[in-house]
Amino acid sequence: MNRNASRIFAALFGVLAVTLPFFAGDYPLQVARNIMMYMALAITWDMLLRSGQISFGIAGLFGIGAYAAILGVIRAGMPAWFSILFAAIFSGVVAFVIGFLILRLRAMYFSIVTLALGEIFRIIIHNLHDFTGGPEGVVIQKGVIFGGDANRLYWLVLAGLAVAVAASYWFEKSKIHFALTAIRNNEISAKSSGIDIFRWLLLAFVVTSAIQGLLGGIFVQSYGFATPDTVFSADFTLLPLAMALLGGVYSTTGPIFGAVLLGLVSEWLKLKIPYGHLVVYGIIIIIVILFMPQGLRQLVRRPAHKADGRNA
Amino acid sequence: MKKRMMLALAVLALIAGSAYAQGTIKIGGIWTLADITGKQGSAAAQLAVDEINAAGGVLGKKLELIVVDDEGKADKAAAAVEKLATVDKVDVFVGGMASGAELGKIPAFKKYNKVVMSTGAAGSATVEKALGPSPDSDFYFHLHPWDYNQGASYAEGWDAIQKKYPNIQIKKIFLAYEEGAFGKSSWDATKILFGSDKRYTIDGASFKSALLGGGDYTAVLEAAKSFKPDLFLWAGYDADALPLLEQSKAMKFSPGIYLGAPPGWPIDFGASKLSPNVMLYGMWSTAMNNNNPSSAKFFKNYVAKYKEEPATYFAPLAYSAVFILADGIKAAGTTETAALVKALEATKYASPLGETITFTPSTIIKHQGITRQKILQWQNGDQQVIWPFEAATAVPVYPFPAWK
Amino acid sequence: MVVKRRTAIIAAVVALILWKPTVLIYGLQAAGLYAAVAIPMGLVLGIVHIVNLAHGEFMMVAAYAAYFGCKALGMDPLLAIIPTAIVTAIFGWVMFQLTIRRALKAPELNQLILTFGLAIAFTQAINLIFTSQTYKMPLDYVSASMDIGDITFGVWSFVFVAVAIIFAYGLKFFLTKTMTGKAAVAVGQNPRGAAIVGIDVYRTYGLVFALALVLVGAMGALFLTKSAIFPSVGSPFTMKSFCLIAMAGIGNIPGILGASVLLGVAENFLRAFRPTRDWAEIVFFVLIIVVILARSLKGKKS
Repeated sequence: MNRNASRIFAALFGVLAVTLPFFAGDYPLQVARNIMMYMALAITWDMLLRSGQISFGIAGLFGIGAYAAILGVIRAGMPAWFSILFAAIFSGVVAFVIGFLILRLRAMYFSIVTLALGEIFRIIIHNLHDFTGGPEGVVIQKGVIFGGDANRLYWLVLAGLAVAVAASYWFEKSKIHFALTAIRNNEISAKSSGIDIFRWLLLAFVVTSAIQGLLGGIFVQSYGFATPDTVFSADFTLLPLAMALLGGVYSTTGPIFGAVLLGLVSEWLKLKIPYGHLVVYGIIIIIVILFMPQGLRQLVRRPAHKADGRNA
Repeated sequence: MKKRMMLALAVLALIAGSAYAQGTIKIGGIWTLADITGKQGSAAAQLAVDEINAAGGVLGKKLELIVVDDEGKADKAAAAVEKLATVDKVDVFVGGMASGAELGKIPAFKKYNKVVMSTGAAGSATVEKALGPSPDSDFYFHLHPWDYNQGASYAEGWDAIQKKYPNIQIKKIFLAYEEGAFGKSSWDATKILFGSDKRYTIDGASFKSALLGGGDYTAVLEAAKSFKPDLFLWAGYDADALPLLEQSKAMKFSPGIYLGAPPGWPIDFGASKLSPNVMLYGMWSTAMNNNNPSSAKFFKNYVAKYKEEPATYFAPLAYSAVFILADGIKAAGTTETAALVKALEATKYASPLGETITFTPSTIIKHQGITRQKILQWQNGDQQVIWPFEAATAVPVYPFPAWK
Repeated sequence: MVVKRRTAIIAAVVALILWKPTVLIYGLQAAGLYAAVAIPMGLVLGIVHIVNLAHGEFMMVAAYAAYFGCKALGMDPLLAIIPTAIVTAIFGWVMFQLTIRRALKAPELNQLILTFGLAIAFTQAINLIFTSQTYKMPLDYVSASMDIGDITFGVWSFVFVAVAIIFAYGLKFFLTKTMTGKAAVAVGQNPRGAAIVGIDVYRTYGLVFALALVLVGAMGALFLTKSAIFPSVGSPFTMKSFCLIAMAGIGNIPGILGASVLLGVAENFLRAFRPTRDWAEIVFFVLIIVVILARSLKGKKS
């Protein structure tokens, strides 16, 4: 696909996404909301991956943002939209602080530590039951944002997705791209070219964590409740990972394809095979990753397209 | 000419199609199908639908059950409600088990304002709060007891048991509770309902259930042992049942009453040598087939259709839910919400669970169904009902035998 | 440094024995189970370099096979250890050849997602066939107990300690003293170099994977004695094992023993006191982070 074609395609896709509520019923909108939430998380995971760091902590930052938002509303009387922004800032700040500790780690050690941190956040929220409501969770008394209006809820998640997509494009089109790719390919030569590795990793980590927190805030406002098991669910870490990989990593479009594939397949399979659809789901993941190791993107892009660095 | 004929045929087909569609009353069922409670709950609901249709249906139409899996997740549960309401255009909803998924459904339920016959969600701190007071929550008929209903019922039960069987005396109660929402709400309910009664001294400790990767009860059993309770109660899941007993035996911990409160028990628990005289909290058991005709009928039909026994009370509960809905629709003459709510408020259904179900207000909502649980005991491989005495199938064996 | 650490450990052990001996007893037992499950995953991670997210699920499948095999043949699970180990190894080797092997040339993340897909497929297939209900084989010897002073404790779980030690030192022997083992280590450290020298890399990978699954299969049968089994019983073990391996250092199999003991004892220590009981799980993750960070800081210094 050449540049202009893909720009037109993206524009069409964007128009479709924004106008969907006008011609789709509430059920497709709900499914779309679910998919977009994971899609946005998958994009943020990919953004950090471009630096070579594999995070297993999405659920931790998503959950922390979610609780920041809901406790902000319940304990501090914040308006709903403000609590969502607060969630983003809170996760961003937390990421900034822990970044100093953990961004020195590499490979699986970094991944395990992000996983461990996510669990630590969950357990802290779980145990401080007087403040956070404990394992039973908390409910926003006045209910869901926008009174549950399906269109507005859809646009809210779309806004969150737009933030993720915009951030990802920013990462792709600015000098951040060169810095992260250089770090990913070879840290030693990156350093000798004058790149301050820590600074770029911290930037990527804070931005992606803030977006994950933002999405957590959107989630709790969309459903009006939070429980530790719901918002810190491993699904929020593993599914975005699978989506990004199945769609094609180191890109914005890859996670989008992957999320659409896995999200639609999951819902469709459930309706066709009420008992046992998850077995097929697992098998589909296996088959796609075996036969399309570079993700669905390789169907759209020509393999000669090496302009943005090595794909593997 | 041909075109006009085609058009006419198409219109006829449409009318016929919609007339056919109008010929059924649609019940939208949402369960976690991957879990045994959802698998059997939806099966039991389908059994009820089949029985009602065989007896002539409701208001001259057949019932149709459409089931969508909520996968135990809030967002999928919300999507299930949307699909049933907008695509399948169901008239009423049924189902539910976990509180978390229920919370996901509630905003969508409120949007469509169709009658919901809920078979799950005991978590009052969140679900009842999210539902809110009457009249906004009047469409929601909560069949399953709330956690505080369960606690109050057990307080009443033990009171009655101690009065009737004076050799059973309880002063100290220890609750081992799993650290999740289920265990924690059991602990809160126990502390409030038993702890406020000056007769009892309560203590407890949390453990990680084997269902979630725990399975090490040594710390909690050590704490229980040093407390020397008359009644030891554990609130966890089926995976904890036998390991807890095995570790209790290894630590030579045998309280006067060993009581388990999981939503279900492991397969063949009754055949295990450790099961005799273990007490349990529950809502239904196969022993009830002996003295409850409604239970016997349900059990016989379920086994005949599915060639397996219902494993938990969620099966007869779902079965009851469908019958209650059907009776309500018959009485109201419509599925329109306001009329149906009024008709359901007059419900008096003799359920397989051993009690006549009516709806009364609970702390926040107006339509609460079952409020009483049962105290049972494993005897000879079966769960025998000890209390309420009207439904009792056996006399309690006390005390729990010391380990040899 | 080493002497100081050793005296510190001995002092801590003595203190525990005098003050809260149950912490040491139960901590060791828990450590045994964690280590025995983690070691095979560490073997695969260290040599084949894949994070097997289906690790716990293989053990779960093995446990189910052992359960139904024992029920059908009226056997005790202990007798089923060797048959289960062999069956699991064959099953795993077949899975490896069908799926994982094809992904080895792809980036490591692909292998991760592949095993994730396998984990889902296994869990849900077992769920479909056997439902989510729990199965437990009631056995008398699991409640074997011992009295020391005024404490009574179960002793069966010490079997996991023995198994973990056998696994760790058995593997160490295999990897350092046998030809196949040394070849495997070479492949793990430098696959290209090993291939040049003439070692069949993929055959070695398959062998190592099968060996790991022998251990996993044995654990599946043994696990059955103490725990109830259900479709998702394996997944918490995958995460715990992964954490332990990272704590010990990837490739350091005997280190897993030490890491497990540290975590098992710390967890039980916190569980022994009412105010800290709820925080026992968090110590697991805090210690992992502390150890990994400390090692990274030490590495930077040297």
